[in-house]
Amino acid sequence: MTMQRRLLGLMLVVVCPLLTQCASVGKGKRAGVELSRAGEAAAVKDEKSVVKAEKKAEVKEEAPVVDDLDEYSVVDVADPLERMNRVSFWCNDKMYLIVFRPISKGYEKVIPKRLRNGIFNAFENAKYPVRLGNSLLQGKFKRMGLHTEKFLLNTVGGIGGLIRVSDKFPKLAELPDEDTGKTFAKWGMGHGFYLVIPFMGPSSLRDGVGLIGDYAMNPVNWGVFWSGSHDWTAIPPAMNTLRALPGQLALYDETKRDAIDPYLAVRSGYVQFRAASVKK
Amino acid sequence: MKRRLILTFAALTTAGVTFGASSLESAQTRLKAAVGEVLALAGRATDKPTLMKQIGPVLEKHISFDVMTRRAIGPGWREFDAAQQKQAIGLFTKLIIRSYGSRFTIGQMPEVKYQSAAEAAAGRVDVSTFTIYQGSRYSVVYRMEEAEGWHTTDVVIEGVSMVANYRSQFDPVYKKGGVSAVLAALEKSAARSE
Repeated sequence: MTMQRRLLGLMLVVVCPLLTQCASVGKGKRAGVELSRAGEAAAVKDEKSVVKAEKKAEVKEEAPVVDDLDEYSVVDVADPLERMNRVSFWCNDKMYLIVFRPISKGYEKVIPKRLRNGIFNAFENAKYPVRLGNSLLQGKFKRMGLHTEKFLLNTVGGIGGLIRVSDKFPKLAELPDEDTGKTFAKWGMGHGFYLVIPFMGPSSLRDGVGLIGDYAMNPVNWGVFWSGSHDWTAIPPAMNTLRALPGQLALYDETKRDAIDPYLAVRSGYVQFRAASVKK
Repeated sequence: MKRRLILTFAALTTAGVTFGASSLESAQTRLKAAVGEVLALAGRATDKPTLMKQIGPVLEKHISFDVMTRRAIGPGWREFDAAQQKQAIGLFTKLIIRSYGSRFTIGQMPEVKYQSAAEAAAGRVDVSTFTIYQGSRYSVVYRMEEAEGWHTTDVVIEGVSMVANYRSQFDPVYKKGGVSAVLAALEKSAARSE
């Protein structure tokens, strides 16, 4: 027990500085500055770091552009583990091809599309505690109410969440998702560095740690935490993975096929997507 | 004197507001026409190869591929000579048209809901939409710019800018191998099977 506590303490000591360090290394004008702002906000605490941040911003402002309306930059994140990440990316790619794609195809063949959509919706609806908990942690009290309204509407009116009745109401349909990584970002933490997690795909140190929170808050996984867990407890998490597979693989295929460098395409897409969702 | 000043200020402000409103309106109208044209084409298509063939000219009419290519490649673009620029635009156009066309599934039509339009800079309007496709809802922002009419210069899906994404990929290629490496990479990607 003491050993475990020590290990946990050591992990926290190692992880916390990495989480708070500035992560974005964009070089261009507006986009780069905006993307790195969330990460920089945490780091800029004393005068020294303010000066540093100003110098950084100056470098970004001077970045060359190709025309007057060009405000793009190399959207990126610190990737000190690139070699390892590329290996992980390659392994995931093969894993998708050999293991996950046949499973996904089988699922699509056996389960009719309407039922698949219903299952997908029900699992999304069940993630309500993740959305509620993270709205609370971010102090978004109005949003907590809206998420509750959406959950109740879909659960009662949509037969346990199988039908997304809330789509008929724009304020509920456009309600942004919440997760623990986003909460960390709202608290001022930067990405840390980019990570490609085996089997799971792109993430960052911040969002990777956030996944633990999301996992714990998702009722689908609660069976796993029961003492003397039974075999059935593995079924909901497995089903949760299965229902998301077809969509995720289709997205991955598109990104890979049209990319110049699939690894960089996914990395850039991930960083941009997360930056946009944090702003919502 | 004061009255004259106020009148001049009022006239200038009104002109500015009218100009802003009209550019927002015309950019949005142009986008709606473009989306309508593409959707009509997708609705009529009975198979994917036909759709892929027909969609190209429509997209070339509404998308400014030269601006897109230039910005996707970034500052290295200045080192391209005229022939290389033409080649890069051709390859990038092919890549984007294929990418766009392949997203359609025959018989399944996306629904586009227009949200708002904002003048992000002089001659640039961002039109926000929600696209509902195959049961999922996506936030899509079209970046429109005026140069001989309004044209789309970028599409931002769920916060991911297509141009910024390509620039992140081209940048290391250019830094490592220069113009020839960029062209080779483009050729390789454009040649990839559909």
